Amino acid sequence: MIDTPHKIDSFFIFNSNFGPKEGDELKRILFFYPNQINTDVRKTQVGLCEAIVRFMTTFSSEPCEALQTQSKRYIFFQPEKNFWMVLVIRIPYATKLSGDSKDVVEPSIMQDFMVSSYKTFRMFVGLFKDIPPEDTYGICEQFFNPYITSIDVSNDLSNIIQGINYLPLEKNSFFKVICFIDLLQVNYPQFKCISFVYNDQLIWNGLCKDDMLTLYQYLVHSLLPKQVEKEIQGGAVTAAERHGRFISPPEGIHSDEDLKKLNKVYLRREDDNETKQYYLVIYRTLSATVSFTVDVDTHVDFATFRALDTFIGPQLSTIASSIGEQCTIHALQNAQIASPDHKFLYFNKLNLAFKTSTPSNCMTPSAAVKPEVLNIIAEIHQDHKSLGKYGEIIIKTPDEYWITGKSSNDREFYVVMQKNANLKEIADEVKRICEMQMKGIFFYPM
Amino acid sequence: MAKFCLNHSDKYYISLSDQPKRFDADSPVTNVFFDDNNGQVFTVRSGGVTGVTVNGLDDSKCTSFRMEDKGPIISIKFSPDHKVLAIQRNIDAQIPAVEFYNFQDLIPTNVEYSHSCKWKNAKILGFVWPRVNEIAFITDHGIELLQVLPEKKQLKTLKSISFSGAWYSWCAQSNIVLLAGNNGALLQPFSLHGSNISKLQKLELDSSRPVVERDVFVLRICDASWCAIFRHGSPTASTPGPTEVCLIPITGGNGIQHVLKTGLVGRFAVSVIDNLLIIHHQSSQTSQLFDILEETKCENNVAIHLPIVQGMSMKPALVDGQECPMYSGNWVVFQPDYIIDARLGCLWTVNLIHSGLAHNVPRDEISKIVGVLLRRKDGKDTIYSILNQLITQADVYLVELSRVFDEINSVYRKWADAEVARNTAGQVVEKAGNTFPVLISQADMCSRVLQTHADDKYLVQVVTAYLASLSLQNMVVQHPVAELCVRTLVTRGASARLRSLVRRGCLGEEQLLACQLLSLGHFDPAAAQLALDMMWRLKAFEEIVEVLLSWNEPVSAVGAAKQTGVWTTLAPRKLLAAAHHYAQETNTPTTFLAVYHALLARNERVRGSSHFVKGEQCDVYIEYYKQMMADS
Repeated sequence: MIDTPHKIDSFFIFNSNFGPKEGDELKRILFFYPNQINTDVRKTQVGLCEAIVRFMTTFSSEPCEALQTQSKRYIFFQPEKNFWMVLVIRIPYATKLSGDSKDVVEPSIMQDFMVSSYKTFRMFVGLFKDIPPEDTYGICEQFFNPYITSIDVSNDLSNIIQGINYLPLEKNSFFKVICFIDLLQVNYPQFKCISFVYNDQLIWNGLCKDDMLTLYQYLVHSLLPKQVEKEIQGGAVTAAERHGRFISPPEGIHSDEDLKKLNKVYLRREDDNETKQYYLVIYRTLSATVSFTVDVDTHVDFATFRALDTFIGPQLSTIASSIGEQCTIHALQNAQIASPDHKFLYFNKLNLAFKTSTPSNCMTPSAAVKPEVLNIIAEIHQDHKSLGKYGEIIIKTPDEYWITGKSSNDREFYVVMQKNANLKEIADEVKRICEMQMKGIFFYPM
Repeated sequence: MAKFCLNHSDKYYISLSDQPKRFDADSPVTNVFFDDNNGQVFTVRSGGVTGVTVNGLDDSKCTSFRMEDKGPIISIKFSPDHKVLAIQRNIDAQIPAVEFYNFQDLIPTNVEYSHSCKWKNAKILGFVWPRVNEIAFITDHGIELLQVLPEKKQLKTLKSISFSGAWYSWCAQSNIVLLAGNNGALLQPFSLHGSNISKLQKLELDSSRPVVERDVFVLRICDASWCAIFRHGSPTASTPGPTEVCLIPITGGNGIQHVLKTGLVGRFAVSVIDNLLIIHHQSSQTSQLFDILEETKCENNVAIHLPIVQGMSMKPALVDGQECPMYSGNWVVFQPDYIIDARLGCLWTVNLIHSGLAHNVPRDEISKIVGVLLRRKDGKDTIYSILNQLITQADVYLVELSRVFDEINSVYRKWADAEVARNTAGQVVEKAGNTFPVLISQADMCSRVLQTHADDKYLVQVVTAYLASLSLQNMVVQHPVAELCVRTLVTRGASARLRSLVRRGCLGEEQLLACQLLSLGHFDPAAAQLALDMMWRLKAFEEIVEVLLSWNEPVSAVGAAKQTGVWTTLAPRKLLAAAHHYAQETNTPTTFLAVYHALLARNERVRGSSHFVKGEQCDVYIEYYKQMMADS
């Protein structure tokens, strides 16, 4: 686990233009975590970062990315012009022998965390620059404080790369899903279905790639866990839940009043070429969750939502239970395959599909994979040059871990094995795993 | 619920033929007879003295002649080849007999003879011509099948079979005679085939409910022979309920009885067109359609049917420029599809107006109507019209459209399975044209339906519904459909849908499709990724190498070639050119060296020498290599 309070030293957002005069330094700080830090320390921290960032512009037109000191690592991210987000991570002060650096958090993972926090912010709130400066402080406080304390990044294969877990669905079931979506959109043209998620796996996506990832992460990491908890607390699934309900806004939609609580989001739909503001409506039955967008200038009334509920409810529960049956069959088949002695990670850059040998919702933590190994994979993934578009890399750690990374046809595949073997044996073994896992796709790295 | 109405469709689904065959109307001096075998009307004036006119739908078989009046005629019929005319008269003769007149080119030859039946005290109920030169006398003692020898003016008994019957019904299409015995409680069918009479399984009816002649018909529907019995009212209830028609199989029909619920009471008549049963009801002036092939629940081998569309009258017909009375009391209906108005002197056939079936259909029955049309010979055009209209209004009819697609594809699937079975069995079975009168292939669907909707708002949804239906029937998507889908989805901004369909194999696997996807690569890289995957599954390894070369990935191309086994056959010049280009562009001379060395090793292995041969035209690159080596 990345122990948030202990590892994250601080996290802040600043814009130097907000308080250009001396004495106004505090105005530049839009958000600062942790809260209890006094203003002087805040000023010093931000001042340092401001200076570094400005100083670096003399050397490169690219914005500064990171700064490492003996005890801290600073990660910079400039999402919009002059807005800087900085994440400061503590690193063990006394560096002992090499190989004992397992506590170091790979910067790329933290960078990803920061980027996705910004994207979530942008989805729900919008661009920093569009917010009136005087409101920014409050909004940031409201958004980032819960966000940062809720993050739960465990040391797992599944957290190395930010991707989407797709549900492999047999084609007739898939057709059922899209025909349902089509029918819904034809009958309720103001509602556009943007995602269909089963459990935590994506089946249908109507957003552009980037926004999909953000919405998916919001659903899977934030909204759905809360819902599932609610469902479990509620005991047996009540009849109302079987027929489905609106889960965004979280209390459901039961009257005209509730419509005012609808979330507004900024998203770009797949068939659009610009980001627009929409209402986000999310509906859930059994384990299926469907998200819709509605144009913000559409007049919404409760009657439409009630009609939509009666329309979706029964159909979605039929579809959900048939998908459920299929998943059960699938799970039974997979259960028969003995758990292998290797771990793999698959990532498709083009649709962000992501798969690991240990499913993310698996209860047994994959403690077997050392953080160090994870960091190596993260590094390979981050460093585009080492693999290239078509390439292969094999790394051996001193404690007999073999890490293989392959890339081909815009896909990446990593295998981790711990065994005493030679390079050739490992290469052959990995080739065999590749053939097994990559059936039916073109995957031929050099 | 709003009903579906096919644009420009006829309100009526049954009409009489445009031009009735006219004949002299029935009058005190004129008698009219109808021969349902040949479909001919005989008008006999003054017993034939002032002339007999024969009119039929086939003009070449119409004629007129005179003959002697030897007494009132009961029945008059030509043999199937029109060379012998047989007449049965109502004379109080001791011995029942039938007269024969030989004809040549439809003109009487004055050769006459007569033949009496073998049972001297029997009453001849009628006679039929089962085939050329064969006649069957149907009597109350049984059936006698005779061979007619016109040259010898003789008849020879071929076979006779005894049965005590009061009346009979004849079906010319199946050559089956049904004799009613035991006061209408026992119906015995006989088949007249191959100069033989064979007794078929008798139909025993409830003896408390005997049937009368006008309620029994022998019909030929769907390659099976049926005895249709009108059952009026219920036997138990004191008040008579609506009439049902029972279809009891005589031959074929898989032993399933069909019961047609008319919901009406009164006088009925029956016609058969294209395996559809039409029940005409006089008092309500409606004609109901029944399709015994429709899927319906079947209990104890009894299938219950309702009219496929709401009862409707026939389209009003014109005679002499005036509307003639329809469902008139003067009408006589003969099977399969003749209607005669003896008073007006008209002979019509009954026709089906296919578009009329879709004139007023409840939404959830649209697919059923398409199912009915799929079983009709000329149903195709109406199906296209229905489809086109549904697609235009896809916002309203998307669900119905999917069902119609399912209906069409399930028929196609059954046909395809039957074809496979036929071919694998290696037998020469007749083509299954009768069972599958309408087949709408994927190519038809594209050219006649989908392509005409290029600008429709909901084409993406329509195309998806069609693919879903193909997938449901487990049919391989053919290229025209796949191509149209790709085009539609891409132009409508549904590339993600396209990709997820391709990923799940919903568009089939074909090289042409892969190329199409590849060409989308410049604005949708994910499509190109899938294209490469598909080529790999299709084992199009050389094409993969070409693609990688065109993407400026020479080293990967070599790698892929080595692993897929096409390495030894690749032209070295092409590879070197690509490597050279890449090396220069990215300033990585090692790329060129890697490819060059790989080729040298290949030459060594293939030819035993690492040199390039003259025909490979690699001189430029050999020079370039030397130069590089010299530089370093």
